[in-house]
Amino acid sequence: MAAGAPDATLLGGFWGGVRDVITHRSLLDLLIRRELKARYKDSSLGFVWSFIRPLTMLLIYYVAIGQFLGAARNVPQYAIFVYSGLTIWGLYNEIVAGSTMSILANAGLIKKVYVPRELFPLASIGSALFNFGIQMIVLLGAILVTGQFPLSWNLLYALAAVVMVVTYGVALALLLSAFNVYLRDIQYLVEVALLIFFWASPIVYSWTQVQTVAKNHAWVADVYLLNPMSNAILAFQKGMWEAGSKINVLKGADGKNHAVPPVDWPAHLEFRLLVLFVIGLALVYVAQRVFARLQGNFAQEI
Amino acid sequence: MSNVPVITMNEVSKRFIIRKEKSLKERLVNFGRSRKHKEDFWALRDLTLDIEAGTTVGLIGANGSGKSTLLKVIGGIIQPTKGTVRRRGQLAALLELGAGFHPDLTGRENVFLNGAILGLSQKQIEGYFDSIVDFSEIRDFIDTQVKFYSSGMYVRLAFAIAIHVDPDVLLVDEVLAVGDEPFQKKCLDKIKEFQQEGRTIVLVTHDLTTVEEMCDRAIVLSHGQVIFDGGSVDGVAALRANFATQ
Repeated sequence: MAAGAPDATLLGGFWGGVRDVITHRSLLDLLIRRELKARYKDSSLGFVWSFIRPLTMLLIYYVAIGQFLGAARNVPQYAIFVYSGLTIWGLYNEIVAGSTMSILANAGLIKKVYVPRELFPLASIGSALFNFGIQMIVLLGAILVTGQFPLSWNLLYALAAVVMVVTYGVALALLLSAFNVYLRDIQYLVEVALLIFFWASPIVYSWTQVQTVAKNHAWVADVYLLNPMSNAILAFQKGMWEAGSKINVLKGADGKNHAVPPVDWPAHLEFRLLVLFVIGLALVYVAQRVFARLQGNFAQEI
Repeated sequence: MSNVPVITMNEVSKRFIIRKEKSLKERLVNFGRSRKHKEDFWALRDLTLDIEAGTTVGLIGANGSGKSTLLKVIGGIIQPTKGTVRRRGQLAALLELGAGFHPDLTGRENVFLNGAILGLSQKQIEGYFDSIVDFSEIRDFIDTQVKFYSSGMYVRLAFAIAIHVDPDVLLVDEVLAVGDEPFQKKCLDKIKEFQQEGRTIVLVTHDLTTVEEMCDRAIVLSHGQVIFDGGSVDGVAALRANFATQ
C-alpha cells in the first residue's frame, strides 16, 4: 500500500491518483456513510429532514412564485417542473458547497494520517448523490401521482444531466476544496456564486420565459446557454417533465383558457451535452493535477 | 534481511514559509514589500539516511528540532521541499491516536472507520474486532458515541486499533504515554512484541529512558540537522551534552 504522496509527473500522475482512489474505495464508502450518519445524529427525525427541506422549498416556490407571481399560469405542471429543477440543482449545490469545505472539515485526519486526500471531496459527492437519490424518490412519486410518467427516450436526457452534474461536480470539488485550504475566502465566494447561478439557471422560471425576454437579442439566450448547468437542468427537465414537451391548455390571469405551446428546447441539445461533457472531463483532469500539486502542503497550511 | 532499508531518504529538506499577514487588506498594503513579511524556516536540512528493516530507531532532540516534521515526511503526510523519500512495505503512523475518530459515531463505528483509514480492509477489521475491543478493555461502552468517552477510554480504543494494523513500519510520535500504568505497560509490551517480530519502528519521544531501553539506534536532531546517528545510549548522551552547551 502506498503511504506516500503520489508522484507529480503529468500523465502517470492522473491515473496514479485514480488508482489510489480505487484501492481505497472501501474507505471512501465508510467516509460517505460517516458523513450521512453524522449529519442527522442525535436528531429524532433523522433522515426525514432530508425530505423536509426540499419539500419546503418546493412549497415556497410553488406558492410564492408559481401562484402569487403567476409563473404557473404559463408553465404547465409547475410543481413537477420546479421540483425537477430543484432536484438536479440541489445535487450540484450540495456537491459544490459540501466539497469546498471537505478538506478543512477533515483537518484533524489530514494532519495526522496519509490517505489519498481526493477521498474527502469525493465523499461529499457521494453523500450528495445519496440525498439526490432520496429526492428522486419524491420526484418520481409526485410524477406517478400526477400521472405524468415520462416513459420515453427523453429519460436518457435526465441520465445525461446527472452524468454532467457529477462530472463538473468532481472537477469543481477538487479545485475548490484545495483552493479553500490556501484562501478561506473561497467558501464565502462559493456561497455567493451558487446563489447567482441558481437564479441564472432555468429552475423556477422556464426556458420559454427566457426566450420570450431574449426574443430581440438572440445573443442573450446564447450566453445563457454557455452555462453548463443551464444545459444540464434543461436536459433533466426534458427527461422528467413530460408536460413541457406537449401543448397544454392553462387558465390565464383573466380566467380564460389559453394554449401553451411545448417548450422550444435548445437545438441539438444532445450534441451540446456531449461537447460539454468532454469539456467537463478535461476539467476533471486539470482539477486532479492541480489538486495533486496543492495537496503536498495541505498538512501544514490547514 | 536486516540490511534492507525500508526507508531511504536522500537530501531531504523541508521549508516552511511563515507569513505574517493573512488578510487581503494587509496583503494589498504590503504589496511589493511582501518579502519582508515572509520568513523562511528550514525545519529539515539535507537529511540523508537509511532505516533498515527490523531496527527500532529513536528520533530525539530538543523541542522544535524537526523530529515530528521528519516523522511526517517519512509517513508521506507532508511532502519535502527538496529531496526524495522512498518507502517499502506497509507503513502505519501513530502520530496522534484517534485522529480519525468522529465524535458523533459510536466506538464500534469508529473502529471500522479508523481501521480503514489506517489501511485495514473491512474483512480484516471484522476478524480483529473482538481482539481490538478486548485489548482496549472498554467492551461496555463500545456502542456509545465516542464524544462521551473519557480521554483514557478514547486513547485505549485508538491504540487498540492501531496495533492491529499489522504494519511493516510503525511510526510512533509521543503516544506511548497514554492511559493508566497497567495500560501503558501493555502498550510497551505490544511494541516489544512488534520488535521481536522483526518490524521496523521509528519512535519520537522525549522520554530518554525509553529510548535507551528500547531502541537499537538513536538519531539526534538539532535545528533540522542530524548531529548524532548511532547507538541509543551514546545518542542520549550526545543529546544531553547538546542540552548542556546551550
